[in-house]
Amino acid sequence: MLHLVKYAMKTKLRNFNNVVFWPLVFPLALATLLYLAVSGMDEADFETVPVAVVMAQASADPTAEAETDGNTGPESNNGADPFLLFLDSVETESDLIRTEEMFWEDALDALENGEVEGIFCTGAAPSLHVSGSGLPETILQSLLDSYMEGKQTLEDIAQTHPEGMEDALGAMENYRPVVRQVSLGGKTTDGTAQYFYALIGMGCLYGSFIGFQCAMSLQANLSPVAARRCVSCVHRLKMIAAEAAAAFGIHFVNMLILLIYLKYILRLEFTGSYIRMVPVVLAGSMIGVAMGLFVSSFGHMKESVKIGILIAVSMAASFLAGLMNPDIKNAAEQHFPALRLINPASLISDALYCINVYDAPRRLMTDLIILFVMCGVMIFGAFLMVRRERYDSI
Amino acid sequence: MVQIENLVKRYGDVIALDHFNLQVREGEIFGLLGPNGSGKTTAIGCMLALLKFDRGSVRIMGEEMAPDNYRVKRQIGVVMQDVAVFEELSVYDNIDYFCGLYVSDRKRRRELVEDAIRFVGLEDYRKTYPKKLSGGLLRRLNIACGIAHRPKLIILDEPTVAVDPQSRNRILEGICELNRQGSTIVYTSHYMEEVEQICTRITIMDHGRSIASGTKEELKRMIKTGETISVETGMAEERLMNRLGSLPPVFDVKYEEGMLVVRCTRSEGSLVSILKILQEENIPFGRVYSEPPTLNDVFLEITGKALRD
Repeated sequence: MLHLVKYAMKTKLRNFNNVVFWPLVFPLALATLLYLAVSGMDEADFETVPVAVVMAQASADPTAEAETDGNTGPESNNGADPFLLFLDSVETESDLIRTEEMFWEDALDALENGEVEGIFCTGAAPSLHVSGSGLPETILQSLLDSYMEGKQTLEDIAQTHPEGMEDALGAMENYRPVVRQVSLGGKTTDGTAQYFYALIGMGCLYGSFIGFQCAMSLQANLSPVAARRCVSCVHRLKMIAAEAAAAFGIHFVNMLILLIYLKYILRLEFTGSYIRMVPVVLAGSMIGVAMGLFVSSFGHMKESVKIGILIAVSMAASFLAGLMNPDIKNAAEQHFPALRLINPASLISDALYCINVYDAPRRLMTDLIILFVMCGVMIFGAFLMVRRERYDSI
Repeated sequence: MVQIENLVKRYGDVIALDHFNLQVREGEIFGLLGPNGSGKTTAIGCMLALLKFDRGSVRIMGEEMAPDNYRVKRQIGVVMQDVAVFEELSVYDNIDYFCGLYVSDRKRRRELVEDAIRFVGLEDYRKTYPKKLSGGLLRRLNIACGIAHRPKLIILDEPTVAVDPQSRNRILEGICELNRQGSTIVYTSHYMEEVEQICTRITIMDHGRSIASGTKEELKRMIKTGETISVETGMAEERLMNRLGSLPPVFDVKYEEGMLVVRCTRSEGSLVSILKILQEENIPFGRVYSEPPTLNDVFLEITGKALRD
């Protein structure tokens, strides 16, 4: 077995196009280009988000619940409103937002004129009004979501432990929003990180080229070397296992190199731990290789056709995972939620989100399990085709 | 050693093997001769359990050949028609890889690989990659990969295609040496000279069928041609052709591109009689050749077409 793995490694490592260029050099080059593009973009584009705050009684918005605490205008006392306290805290501690209290009509005018990116309405059920769907609006929505999660906690405490309310409010003031301004290489924000998650997903899927090479060397009807190996006395399963093991190993190293490149050369600082990203790229490497094995084992198409299919599938999957435009990922998830579950690039990207943004271990685990199951299904499918013992023609 | 009975293989409507039979005895160099497309490679593919077939049976070393009959496969060495080596591995590594599929002991394998390298004369190319080898050297590497593990049965499918004469001679000598060392050889080719030179028994194939089998002497005895006499001459009138054709041993007279070709049955004095008629007719002539029957004559008489076509 070691003999087989050793030579499988040797042959693969010398195959520049299928093993080095597409699965490693190309993602590295793309990462560099992407870095140059988005770092400049964010430096120029990101600014503190101006937002209007409309007090409950000043709001004519029918969706906002009115409060009867006597607050009537923008200059009124805001100390009693936990949402205002929360916004003040965010404004003081970061450059993320700049609030301005207004009457509802003025706020609407400011929103229409582009003077503010959104309107927060205070009250028992704070609400947000926006006119677009870009990064500022996403930040404002995330702030509201963060507050609402904390608000629920306060209400729960009020019901179960009313004596702890004071402490809870104190904690509320120090509440940290989920969306923070994070430095990627000191220049970019979280918004650009998703490009790199999708890029890592794409790099993983480009392991399909190594899988392709495995299939070519295993099926007697695809190459003379494969035919020669088929007539040897080595069990078919052993041969396939050796090839797959070598391919997984090589591509996993490819992906680690990509991570190291992102961290130490491009100096990108994702918020999550790089170590926690390793299992994701391991699963990603396996799914990439398995996909290549599966597609390449299928049918009698020409080598160039199979390579074309692999590139098309990888790029389409990466596109839907947000490689070219993160909005595509969001739109795909909104309109076709099931797509995320069958698109390996989306799953990889989502798993990286779970580590770096959501901090959602359960969702991360689900993503990894789906990836491993898909990998198993593809390898089994490939095995069923590759193990074929006799051929119609060679 | 190898027994194939009534093998039928179809590719759609085309019958590639039509009730093909073959028997290879232990210790012989068995030749499978036939023009391109006659079914030789298909027969080898079926023999090695690579190809599906519609009917018939293949037994090797007394056992039914099957894809998972690894015990029999361990005893077989295969040299494919297309060169089957890794472009990414050096000469040494290629031979070591294929030998390692059969021999796990590293020390023993090293000896076998070195022997194989010496055997095919690639001592100076151990670290060379296949891309840098000439066609002949590449074929030799292909052979080394197939025989390094010292198999009992070696199957060589057209190993000399597109090979220079020097490499070809070396390959043919090597095959005879392998046979002397105890291996049974199955050798397919469309070059009748090669088959005639090294094979002890021969089966001639055409359209997927075995049309004749035996030693080369037995095959030649099957046909009418005993001698082919060719005379270089600038003219051949009808009267001359008729007189030559009336000679008792002569059964075919042709004039093609300045050569008068007379085919005779086995008898003595044919050449003298022919030359006498040429003198009587005052026909000037140049060089004269007398050839015993070849396998091409056998093929020609049985199929009506030349093996070279």
